[in-house]
Amino acid sequence: MSDDLDDLDDRLAELIGKPVNTRGPIVGPDPVNQPMIRHWAAAFEDANPVYTDPEAAAHSRFGGIVAPPLMLQTWTMATPVITGIHERGGSPVESDGKSSLALLDEAGYTATLATNSEFEIVRYLRIGDHVTSETVIAAISPEKTTRMGQGRFVTWVTTYTDDAGEVVGRQEFRILKFKPGTAGADGAGA
Amino acid sequence: MSADRKGTGVNWSSLSVGDELTPMQITVTATVIAAGAIASRDFMPVHHDREYANAQGAPDIFMNILSDTAYCSRFLTDWAGPDAAVRRLAIRLGVPVFPKHLLRYTGTVTGLSRVGDEGVVEVELRGATDLGDHVTGTATLTLPVDAAPV
Repeated sequence: MSDDLDDLDDRLAELIGKPVNTRGPIVGPDPVNQPMIRHWAAAFEDANPVYTDPEAAAHSRFGGIVAPPLMLQTWTMATPVITGIHERGGSPVESDGKSSLALLDEAGYTATLATNSEFEIVRYLRIGDHVTSETVIAAISPEKTTRMGQGRFVTWVTTYTDDAGEVVGRQEFRILKFKPGTAGADGAGA
Repeated sequence: MSADRKGTGVNWSSLSVGDELTPMQITVTATVIAAGAIASRDFMPVHHDREYANAQGAPDIFMNILSDTAYCSRFLTDWAGPDAAVRRLAIRLGVPVFPKHLLRYTGTVTGLSRVGDEGVVEVELRGATDLGDHVTGTATLTLPVDAAPV
């Protein structure tokens, strides 16, 4: 048991500093565009006119339409393959079997809960900007007892760049990978 | 610089540390959660499929973190106005948010500084339900500052 855990810790330690996605940087499937911005603004009922009203945006500090700054992460989210998404544990796309986090899934940490997100917005995006993101694993915690069950915290750092390679934003994102059904009597669902 | 200040919002020069942001309330439903997840392109079934969420040990679908950052952004600029730029947002999640929860955002100005022709505003914010804090964090905004007064 403890040998297995030690072995897992060693294998996880090797992941630090490595890209999460072994296929390389993720290029946004679409450039920053008004339809997706409008959809986002409607879903969150965000009436800020600089996102959707060209005239108001032109008279604003920004001088034209800008994307919502916290929409940054959305531009490079994977286009999902809906068929089989449950069977893949909620993963939106087919795995190529080399995902760094597969190691955690194999060790029983199959469930995921996001816990922290920190953004630095270097510049606001405009219609036509094309975003690429690259995510590196920054830290993996030892196993901890959490409200959700036995789990490990995984911290990623994502750098977002434009077509010129200039950084437009950075994100530190932390998730809990946990073993479903291992929560204590006063666990989730309280 | 800009003479034509449109819309509502705050004037940086009039702000004080300790000022409260205009509170915001979200009446959370399954539709609110699912719409936010899909608009942010997060297709994890725990954010739209109750049976799947149950199988993961959650009592219902729950709000995704991209929606949380989206609502924080809206909370900040609803108060500060369309000329505000969000430069930094750091949030930590507490209790999950499920359908039928009332999510209330509150915030306080914790710092003010001036860099060139920009006014910097530091904010502490909180989104809470009856079960406790759902999201807590800090943010940095900038606002244009008019030419120095006479």
